[in-house]
Amino acid sequence: MNSFTLAWANLWRKPVRTVLTALSIAMAFLLIGLLQGVNAGFSEAIAKARRDVLTTDPRLRGSPPMPIAMMEQIRKVPGVADVAPRSYFMGDYRTPYTIAAIATLPRTWFKLRRQFRVEESALQAMQRTRNGMLVTPALMKQFGWKVGDQLTLRSRELKADGSGDWSFEIVGVFEALIDPDNAFFTLIDYSYLDEARITNRGTVDRFFVRITDPERSIATATAIDALFTNSSHQTRTRSDQDRAEAESKRMGDIGFFTNAVLGAVLFMMLFLTANVTRQSFQERISEFGVLKALGFSGGACLRLTLAESLSVYLLAAGAGLGLASMLTPFAREIHSAVHVTGAVYLRGMTLALALAIASAAIPCWQAYRLPVAGALSARIS
Amino acid sequence: MNVARQILALTAVGLRSVPHRRGNSAVIVIGSTCVVAVLLSVLAMATGFERTIQADARPDRVLVITNGMDTEGSSSLSRENVDVIQAAPGIKRDSAGKAMVSAEVVLVAPVVRRNGADAYLTLRGSGEQLMQVRSELRLVAGRMFRPGLHELVIGQAAQQQFRGLDLGKVIRLYDGDWTIVGMFAAGDSVRESEAIADATTVMTAYQLSAYNSTTALLTSESSFAIFSQALQRDPSLKVSVMREPDYLAMVSGYVHRWLKSVAYLIGGIMGIGALFGALNTMYSAMASRQSEIATLRALGFSPAAIVISIVLEAVLLSLVGAFVGIGMAYTAFNGQAINTLGGSLWDTQVVYTLSVSLPLVLLAIALVGSIGILGGLLPAIRSIRSTIADALRVP
Repeated sequence: MNSFTLAWANLWRKPVRTVLTALSIAMAFLLIGLLQGVNAGFSEAIAKARRDVLTTDPRLRGSPPMPIAMMEQIRKVPGVADVAPRSYFMGDYRTPYTIAAIATLPRTWFKLRRQFRVEESALQAMQRTRNGMLVTPALMKQFGWKVGDQLTLRSRELKADGSGDWSFEIVGVFEALIDPDNAFFTLIDYSYLDEARITNRGTVDRFFVRITDPERSIATATAIDALFTNSSHQTRTRSDQDRAEAESKRMGDIGFFTNAVLGAVLFMMLFLTANVTRQSFQERISEFGVLKALGFSGGACLRLTLAESLSVYLLAAGAGLGLASMLTPFAREIHSAVHVTGAVYLRGMTLALALAIASAAIPCWQAYRLPVAGALSARIS
Repeated sequence: MNVARQILALTAVGLRSVPHRRGNSAVIVIGSTCVVAVLLSVLAMATGFERTIQADARPDRVLVITNGMDTEGSSSLSRENVDVIQAAPGIKRDSAGKAMVSAEVVLVAPVVRRNGADAYLTLRGSGEQLMQVRSELRLVAGRMFRPGLHELVIGQAAQQQFRGLDLGKVIRLYDGDWTIVGMFAAGDSVRESEAIADATTVMTAYQLSAYNSTTALLTSESSFAIFSQALQRDPSLKVSVMREPDYLAMVSGYVHRWLKSVAYLIGGIMGIGALFGALNTMYSAMASRQSEIATLRALGFSPAAIVISIVLEAVLLSLVGAFVGIGMAYTAFNGQAINTLGGSLWDTQVVYTLSVSLPLVLLAIALVGSIGILGGLLPAIRSIRSTIADALRVP
């Protein structure tokens, strides 16, 4: 019989107490799992974001769009492999539905935006059809469109002939690999849009830049921005990773509260469980006396006490963290970045281990030191 | 002895024995302290945020934005539109007969947070009637910006929260450096998190041809209908007109609801955890007092009085914790200024102070009180269920 079997039997000496303790530990770790999940969700987005693709935007939002001529200058920067322009086009489809389109060079764009996938045949069709349009499956389904359909979008962006009616032909689909069910947009050819429009002609609102060496993303970004420092179109070039990181920092001072809450929860749990362990130890001092009289060493009594605390803590913490990951879909309604990852489990279980040891520390020591005679004469409760 | 006196006597006995059960009783106290401190501080964020957003919102002040758009940032009004709006009936006029209207553009100004991270402030380009329309604005240092020059004034909350926004310093905008020439107070409202400059100068600098919104001061709250109907009837306008409090409630609703649901989620989970802790404590307390309780019953104390006195003890212990928690949250957070997303544009910051208000305190007390009642009731009922003889026989 090892100490865990004996510990397990001891735990059920007072089942109500053990169950209540386990439940409060599980609640604490449910909260810890969710809170840590928020941080993990952000770190994951940062780690997944690519460093080999940069985006170049006007330095300040609200600034006029950038001239397309900048594309050639950016392409010549050492370390730049590919550049794709992007303009947004918005048009109403059978009012009130507004359709958003990304106007770009499709072939290059798909090479840079790996979170989207397209078939080669669709790209070839885009090349053949000037007013071609690629649509996400979700949008196709919403309006019952099929490849070959012609559609007219009414836009505030006017064409040279003064009309705001733009016609497109759906030539294929493209898929968003991230959250495809909520991807409702289209892709059109930049030159078709730009040659026909009268306002903002020759401009784009963002450049996507692929660089050859991700390790040099900062140097390359700085080199691109330096090109335009003294122009009327100052730029701000960042890697996708930088942008994800900025996103997480923008949450502001709320992060401080996450840690404060964690601190409060841990303190509460430590105190609560330390008290239960102390109490159950004191009630059984005479039992420990018997064990010692039977030849159990001080170390064995220490292990027994620790094993009780460990089994409750680890089981309950595991249950709490498991519950947190089951509740993730609901938690996402409140905070979209929640993700209970393996790292969250690992950190949670480490915390549980530390708390189990800390809360059992004093009884463990007492069990180790317990004199047999004194223990045997202790009041049996 | 009537039941009330029995309860009093029993509770007094129970409380006197609390020092002998220090560890156990402290679990209830500390549990409720933590629940209350956490719940209050997160709710203080939500309340402080709402208070700042709604501060100085006036029902006689209206915002005009493009129909179908739900924020200033996405709305667009041409100069002609603004002329039509200015001429509408119901607007308050100054002694010279000028309409108290400010046509505004909203852009962003880059700032640096105290931790070094980048953030954005709302940069508002306002009309010349600004100070009449927003009478809560008060210059507290420097002077007002001059139209035509690259000058702006900054809200004092923003000045205190972000780096390098002192008088005389510059902010780099699209077409060059803009000098901070003044600092204003705005009654702790969201305006204090903004920078304000002259609308025409900003529009020239950013090559903009349209305003975002128009704010007008009405002759009275009841002029809203006349003003709104006049604008709706004009065929050249496609606008929606909103009272300022309604608009602010709409745009800040998301962040506010978000903060609140976070607070209730965290507070709720912690509360359940603390409830289990309290149950545990009271069950142990009952176990150790089993023969004592049986003796009381043998002496003729009514079971109801015994149950109530036990519940009272749990509630009192919880309340002690609640007051410690309230004190902690109040001293640590009340009045502390923080900044988070939630400004006039989707990614601009708003500065606000945490506010531990009376309703929040009452809410926390109610929550912890119910933890005490539930935590005491079940063990109390169990303690009187066994027969007196059996209970007395427990060693």
